[in-house]
Amino acid sequence: MSAKTLTDWQIVMRSLRARPLSTWITIGMVATSVALLLVLFGMRTAARGAFDRGSGNIHLLVSADPSPLVAVLNGIFYANAPSKPIAWSKYQSIRSAFPYQWAIPTQQGDSYRGSPTMATSTDFFSKFEPVAGEPWKLASGKFFERPFEIVLGAAAAKSSGLRLGQEVFLTHGSGASREGSEPDEHAGHVHTEYPFKVVGVLEPTGSAHDRALFIDLESSWILHAFDRRERAGISGVTTAADLEDDDRKITGILLRLPTRPGSDASAAMQQQFDTLRRDTAIVVAQPAQQIQKLFEIVSNVDGIFIGMAVAVLISSSLSTMLALYNSMAARTRQIAVLRVLGASQGRVFGLVLTESLVITMAGALSGIVLALLGGIAASAWLKASIGLVIDPTLDPRSTVIVLGGAVALGGIAGLLPAWRAYQVPVADNLRPAA
Amino acid sequence: MPAPALIIRDLRFSYPEAAWALSVPHLQVEAGEHVLLVGGSGRGKSTLLQVVAGLRELGSGSVEVAGMRMDTLRGAARDEARGRSIGMIFQTFNLLHGFTALENVFAALMFSSMPAAEHEHRARTLLSTLGIANADAEVDRLSVGQQQRVAVARALAARPALVLADEPTASLDPENTETAMDLIQSACRAEGAALLCTSHDPSMRARFARIETIDAMIAGAAR
Repeated sequence: MSAKTLTDWQIVMRSLRARPLSTWITIGMVATSVALLLVLFGMRTAARGAFDRGSGNIHLLVSADPSPLVAVLNGIFYANAPSKPIAWSKYQSIRSAFPYQWAIPTQQGDSYRGSPTMATSTDFFSKFEPVAGEPWKLASGKFFERPFEIVLGAAAAKSSGLRLGQEVFLTHGSGASREGSEPDEHAGHVHTEYPFKVVGVLEPTGSAHDRALFIDLESSWILHAFDRRERAGISGVTTAADLEDDDRKITGILLRLPTRPGSDASAAMQQQFDTLRRDTAIVVAQPAQQIQKLFEIVSNVDGIFIGMAVAVLISSSLSTMLALYNSMAARTRQIAVLRVLGASQGRVFGLVLTESLVITMAGALSGIVLALLGGIAASAWLKASIGLVIDPTLDPRSTVIVLGGAVALGGIAGLLPAWRAYQVPVADNLRPAA
Repeated sequence: MPAPALIIRDLRFSYPEAAWALSVPHLQVEAGEHVLLVGGSGRGKSTLLQVVAGLRELGSGSVEVAGMRMDTLRGAARDEARGRSIGMIFQTFNLLHGFTALENVFAALMFSSMPAAEHEHRARTLLSTLGIANADAEVDRLSVGQQQRVAVARALAARPALVLADEPTASLDPENTETAMDLIQSACRAEGAALLCTSHDPSMRARFARIETIDAMIAGAAR
């Protein structure tokens, strides 16, 4: 039979259990503030990661949007359809002016049931990587190879319920559209003349591209040429042969400059950026720089939230201190008895300090669990509501910092009550109660 | 021959701003001896026990418990010496509430020199000897008589050379006083511990072969 005895730890736990309401409320306060801090840190890191993902291995983005930031938000994150087009001749002149690794034309503006469509070339799948180092992967089917084939991003496939082989009609703009089997003449400007066949579904990338549908650039041009010809009173099927220069419009160009083997950076970056900036008809953006700018804009709000969470953590530590300090009044006799039995002043100081640390540790660990659950809930909500895919796991560095900070504050909070226990006059507290 | 349980030499103690001072030129309690310390209320009986236990700093003189100078020890060393050599019994028992009878005895043992592996056997044996059948019951659920037995067990748990009993029967009726003192004295004898017991109850005198009157030790004026 193992020997039983009483330990300092048992005395600490017994003291905490003797005042359950105060103990649990204090643990709850610490847990809430730790969870709040971790979720805010985690969301900030995860949101940054999610924004970093979409730009992949692009060096420069060219568009006709009003500013580089708008160009990135529209061209990579599908915030809105770009309002101004770029002529195909401009694309050709840019492409021929410098030996880019690749220059991929894109056109946005159409949609399917609210999901944005991107018309592009086959290079988009073979050369552009939505996440640097992670090329596109197909969940099923194939990439488009000819006009009027459509490839679905993972989230778009899930939200639309479309499967391989189904046909869809696209909408000009972001209005409602519908499946090929359900034509509806009253649903706005829907290109009912040209059904697109679903030929592929992409694996999730964790970027905004997951919400989009991808078609061949020529298909898009034919749709808009058809509209032009209809307005001009020309009936009949429109084919690639009917395309005029004015039909061949794009809204963006994804550029990658030459790099040294094993490096993602290009020595020509700044020079080429400056060269393109001199063209007033276009806007050129370095996506990474614009994302950094976006985060700088929101960092003040971010800082306020984190400041508030730190304030809650400090106030929970003050609550721990008050709860322990007030409990000392009722525990002076217990402390005096322990001292009579042989406990030193240092030992009772340690017992009370340990109580504070136990409360803080229990609160901090509960807070980590809360933060994990909160992160999972928040990431599910963000994915469902705005398609932003974030990793709900906690950043180990932030977790260690918050845990360490909480425990340090708990230790500081325990000093005053522990000092009060240290100073309990033993003899005076052994007398019979009056 | 074992060292005397207690030797006090030229002890003087006074409270700040007090009108009197405690003065004990010499008091020796032999190992296993039982001594009754009598005197009126407020004459310093409890104070003397606290000074002996090292809970109050004496002004001058010396206090030696089981051959160890308590007055020269400071801080944790004095606390450790008290835990190992002195057991204390109080009028209101001063048990640890919320803890079981067994844990109250463990509380004394955890500061003693006894190995932890022996604590349970020692505590259960003592409690059983003193008539506590349910050692795992919280002390708040025990009768007053049982609580006193737990207090006695706790005082003797670390096998102290000296037990200081401060008015242990002050709140008891005559019948229970007899029972309680039988318990304390027999337990101390069984454990070989000396007993220095304070009381203002004249009926206690018959129980002790040696009686010291504290009134005779009052100096009369504060230093």
